[in-house]
Amino acid sequence: MRLLKTGFAFAFATVLLASASHSAWADDAKPFAGQMITVLLPSPQDATMAADFEKATGIKLDLQTASWDDVSIKISTALLAGTAPADVTEFDWSWTGQFSAAGWYVPLNDAIDQATLNDIAGSKIFDVNGNVLAIPYTNDFRVMLVNKKHFADAGVTATPKTLDELVSAAKAIKAKGIAQYPVGLPLSATEGASTSWYLLTKAFGGDLFDNDMKPMFTSPDSAGYKAMAFELMLLKEGLVDPASTGLKDSEINETLFAKGLASIMISGEPGRLGQYSDPAQSVVAGQVAAIPVATESGKTRSFGLLEGLGIPKSAQNPDAAKEFIRWMTSKEFQMHNYGNGVLPTRTSALAELQQQGKLISGEALVEQAPTVEALFPQGAPTWYPQFSLAVNTSINSVAKGEITVDQAMERIAQAVADAKAQ
Amino acid sequence: MTARALKSSFNAKPGVGSPAGAFSGVLLVLPILLTMGSLVFYPLVSTAWDSLHRVDPLQAGTPFVGLSNYVRMFGDREVGQAWRNTFEFVGIAVAVETVLGVAAAALINQVKIGRQWILAAVVLPWALPGVVSGVIWQWIYAPGAGLLNGVLMAMGFDFENHLWFNDSTSAMLLVSVVHIWRMMPLTIVIVLAAMQSIPLDLYEAARMDGASRLGMFRTITLPLVRGAIAVAMTNSTVSAFNLFDEAFVLVRNSLETRPILIQIYLEAFKKLHFSYGMALSLVVTLVSLLVSLVYVLRIHRNTSLD
Repeated sequence: MRLLKTGFAFAFATVLLASASHSAWADDAKPFAGQMITVLLPSPQDATMAADFEKATGIKLDLQTASWDDVSIKISTALLAGTAPADVTEFDWSWTGQFSAAGWYVPLNDAIDQATLNDIAGSKIFDVNGNVLAIPYTNDFRVMLVNKKHFADAGVTATPKTLDELVSAAKAIKAKGIAQYPVGLPLSATEGASTSWYLLTKAFGGDLFDNDMKPMFTSPDSAGYKAMAFELMLLKEGLVDPASTGLKDSEINETLFAKGLASIMISGEPGRLGQYSDPAQSVVAGQVAAIPVATESGKTRSFGLLEGLGIPKSAQNPDAAKEFIRWMTSKEFQMHNYGNGVLPTRTSALAELQQQGKLISGEALVEQAPTVEALFPQGAPTWYPQFSLAVNTSINSVAKGEITVDQAMERIAQAVADAKAQ
Repeated sequence: MTARALKSSFNAKPGVGSPAGAFSGVLLVLPILLTMGSLVFYPLVSTAWDSLHRVDPLQAGTPFVGLSNYVRMFGDREVGQAWRNTFEFVGIAVAVETVLGVAAAALINQVKIGRQWILAAVVLPWALPGVVSGVIWQWIYAPGAGLLNGVLMAMGFDFENHLWFNDSTSAMLLVSVVHIWRMMPLTIVIVLAAMQSIPLDLYEAARMDGASRLGMFRTITLPLVRGAIAVAMTNSTVSAFNLFDEAFVLVRNSLETRPILIQIYLEAFKKLHFSYGMALSLVVTLVSLLVSLVYVLRIHRNTSLD
């Protein structure tokens, strides 16, 4: 009996010890459990992100989303006021110069290991003097998106490689009455109008600035000038919806292309392929494909617009915020998040998706990826917002017939000169 | 204590003229002094001081730059355009709000039954936030399924998919309409309150002298509500100078229709030229106050005459 008692006590103690050690292990695995962080990102984001993150780390997540332009406004106003817009925020490639100069974000070198940085090659764009200010979470570069069914119905079988072929395809689609305005192109005074012009400038074989950051778009034979004239031509030919003067790129994607009202997205986001291919989210599922950017010469070009995750210096829970960045940029989450239209930034995740045959339009993306250039190889300048604002307001004015292409180019060049002088 | 002394102390007005009275007076005024001082005067002085410096998060230090932020606005073409747009908005808004506001107040003043319900309905747009008003009218002005195009087409006009905001003149007018729709109720309320305080005897006497309704309105109502109209015009002017929400929702950053407040927002929060934005803000405040001063001086003169 005594032996039985001793054995029982030993077994009980073993259970207690085991449970205590399990509890200690659990605490080690979730060191920030119980804390709460706020995250501010452009919409849409994974619907179950908050629950999944809390399950994985024990950290409560308050996820706030808005359109890219609205997120940009919220972040800059909060930072200027000396408050944190959230513990983790969107950090666009174009903000690098400005935010680095302002010293608003904490370096993340200690939050991410070298193997991850090697796997996410694009993180270099957020590296300023050895300080990594953000970790890329969405591999945004530009391709063209087309509605294959519209092309087939219009009798267009070959993939357009040149801009002339693209225009011919659009005209054929319009002539057959398949889409009244086949080309999706934002012309509002918003960032999306700027990025479309940047892409078309590349498509016309040029760049925006030379090595000394002098504008290269003022001459009528320059690529930038031709790009804007091309946009105006598309509008005048009735290939672009005149209402685009009031639509953001996200609105054109969601209200025109995803509803089958447009056939070609000039400045297409590869990440949206997942959404477009999901019958629950799109009426054009199975009809959409990416094609390499058509250019004047036929040799494709593109540029990258990586978006990262950063932590403002004024964030209240920076350690838990780092945990979120590690979680959101992990290979597992990136592969899962591809279903939400977010193209992985990890090379390993992309390779595995392609291997599994899950990468939609994989061939086109693989063909486009090596041609992706930085818009500003020297790094985004601090005056980028002034430049971008001048670009999109000028495109908007040209599209509304308020000014000519000549005047638009002068206005943009003048804005650059003014910004540099300040 | 004698009965006389007791009576004297009972009849004395406590506090008036005494140190205790002065103290309680200060105590009563203190909350508003503190509120105004911390929320209005301190920020104003601080902004004025900062506008004389270079406050730019992208550049180290905040050196004193004198009036250079103020001088710079004279050569800034975007600021010039924004000012022109703003004066147009102010002109349209103040004129329409005043004329229609007084007319609407006069009409509501004639209503004897259910006036409070009409007033509640009229005031509703004023209670809505500017962004909400902007979004509502964005749907009304929408090219496809918009109400405005639908109504015009139902009347037989060719307005299918008409884009109101692709023309700067119509865009300016339509943004003004939204602002007027939101702010005119305040003019109505102010003027209506003044109309209701006019003694009815005056109208009775005029009627006995054979005055027409228009004549009574011109010779009795209008002169006696001049002060209220001036107050309403001051309010209209200041709110039109502060136009932001409706314009931002309807025409975003578009240069042709950009009011000065959106320009200030872009300077401060997009371009991060903080002290330049401050200087512009102060000038807007000053200009709107100067314009309002014209009405205030008129009130003073009218009141003196009255």
